[in-house]
Amino acid sequence: MTLAVARRAEATALFAAQGVPTRRVEDWKYSDLKSALGEAGIGAQVAQWHVTDLPAGVEQFDLSQANPPGWVIDNFARGTGNVMSAASLALSVGGVALRVPKGAAIADLLKLDFTGPGHVRALLVLEAGASLTLVEGVGLSEFRNVGFEIALGEGAALDHVRVSPADADAVLVEEAHVRLAAGAQYRAHFASFGSRLSRMELEIALEGAKAQAHLSGVSVLDGKRHSDVTTRMIHAVEDTLSTQLFKHVAGGNAKAVYQGKVTVAKGANGSDSNQSAKALLLGEAAEADLKPELEIFADDVKCAHGAAVGDLDADSLFYLRARGIPEAEARGLLLHAFLEDAVAQIANMDQRELVRTELLTALKVIA
Amino acid sequence: MLEIKNLHVSVGDKPILKGLTLSIQPGQVHAIMGPNGSGKSTLSYVLAGRAGYDITEGSITYNGEDLTALPPEERAAKGVFLAMQYPVEIPGVTTMTFLKTALNSQRRTRGESDLDAIGVLKLVRAKAKTLNVSEEMLKRALNVGFSGGEKKRLEILQMALFEPRLAILDETDSGLDIDALKLVAEGVNLLRSPERAMLVITHYQRLLDYIVPDRIHVLAKGRIVAEGGKELALELEAKGYEHILKDVA
Repeated sequence: MTLAVARRAEATALFAAQGVPTRRVEDWKYSDLKSALGEAGIGAQVAQWHVTDLPAGVEQFDLSQANPPGWVIDNFARGTGNVMSAASLALSVGGVALRVPKGAAIADLLKLDFTGPGHVRALLVLEAGASLTLVEGVGLSEFRNVGFEIALGEGAALDHVRVSPADADAVLVEEAHVRLAAGAQYRAHFASFGSRLSRMELEIALEGAKAQAHLSGVSVLDGKRHSDVTTRMIHAVEDTLSTQLFKHVAGGNAKAVYQGKVTVAKGANGSDSNQSAKALLLGEAAEADLKPELEIFADDVKCAHGAAVGDLDADSLFYLRARGIPEAEARGLLLHAFLEDAVAQIANMDQRELVRTELLTALKVIA
Repeated sequence: MLEIKNLHVSVGDKPILKGLTLSIQPGQVHAIMGPNGSGKSTLSYVLAGRAGYDITEGSITYNGEDLTALPPEERAAKGVFLAMQYPVEIPGVTTMTFLKTALNSQRRTRGESDLDAIGVLKLVRAKAKTLNVSEEMLKRALNVGFSGGEKKRLEILQMALFEPRLAILDETDSGLDIDALKLVAEGVNLLRSPERAMLVITHYQRLLDYIVPDRIHVLAKGRIVAEGGKELALELEAKGYEHILKDVA
């Protein structure tokens, strides 16, 4: 039995109708996928996945195999209208499904890497009360499209850390669809060093009361590199909480994009949402497109959003230099400080330190 | 140690300093007093090397060397220190990390070896005690959430740590209550030495009750318009700047 036959057919139809997004599509205004791909297009290859040392207590299923277990059938291809997610579903039978059973607290990191060109699907299910830290690795490839679904049961807690490495040529897109039941917590950090086109798209549905999502991210971009984080946060029910903090540093001809839409549905009273995106531009040709958006259909909500683009603070730079710190080092220190509050959102200390170290290396080049 | 001759400085197209001449010897404490807009802060920034201040005429010589040719970090390494009127807040950098980075940067520029973290910590702790700078302050982000007094004490702590040969104090008294002022002044007085010169820039005579200068210069409209001993401060306090400015007009 092939999984989700009907949904694959729907996805195929959706992708056929819309095609590879161009700048004319509002959501893709700052990330021209079609031109980044050129004549090669999105192809129909199946990309690879790899789990390093599956932690004890986590169940794994290869989506290309027959006879999926019930938890895969129940949660797979629950679908959204996202065109690239539809493409991955339509074009790939490959991928991985992972499950953390009810109440299991997994101490070891789950390391999941995606490699090679093409399309791949992933499903991660945390049942009620389960907890896990997911470290997602992004292998370089001329083109890869990952369609990721995450389902968090009541009171489940997932920490997700994703680092997208620097590369001049890679075109890397991913769509994550995260559903949270009551009291579930999703905490995610996206560090990006940019590629020809790099886009992390998230649709997060807070479907149960007291569900909360905390997103943060940093990018350090140079050359002609591009990095896009596009989020859609849906407060579907009352008393849900979301925070977003994204910081970008762009030099050269690089381009940083943050698009974040927060929707508070009718009846989702008492929702609390906070969005902040900031960028420092280090050159005349660097670009940042920050677009926080709010759509509120409920009463009594707390929604804050802000965006700011600037240069390094001249007073701070002078202060550090007047204390003997050479200019390049002073700039590096200030850039690092600028990113630090977003990095500090990573709960896992080892991962935080790893991201910090990669940032310092990238900042040395750019500062 | 410091020779300023006929210094003209513009910011943008606007001339601020118009022929300032000043000479300071090691061991001396000089005060510069002047009304708002007289060019006091411009002088301090020019000495520390801030960008955007164009020297159109004149010279600044420090220990026989043309100071204006050096970037700010090299001036610092050679012993020039500016205690700033408005110390900046830098979220994301702890005070201790900043002190260590600054101290070792200066040492490296001078060709000295780095002090290790423990060495710096010991040094900082020893100096922090006399200035009533707590361990907790050192762990906080640089100047973030510090009171006016805490910020100024941290400036003086840096002065004690870097052991400059020429210390410039720009309006160190601004925003301080009398207790904080006394504490800061005590810290400064402890650092007076035969090898060190100080330039104390202030609007009010108050600070000079506690840091008694050898010489006072009155700066107005970009030039030194009056000079004298410590009694000049009292005269200014009693009669105001207008009185002196009228005489020179």
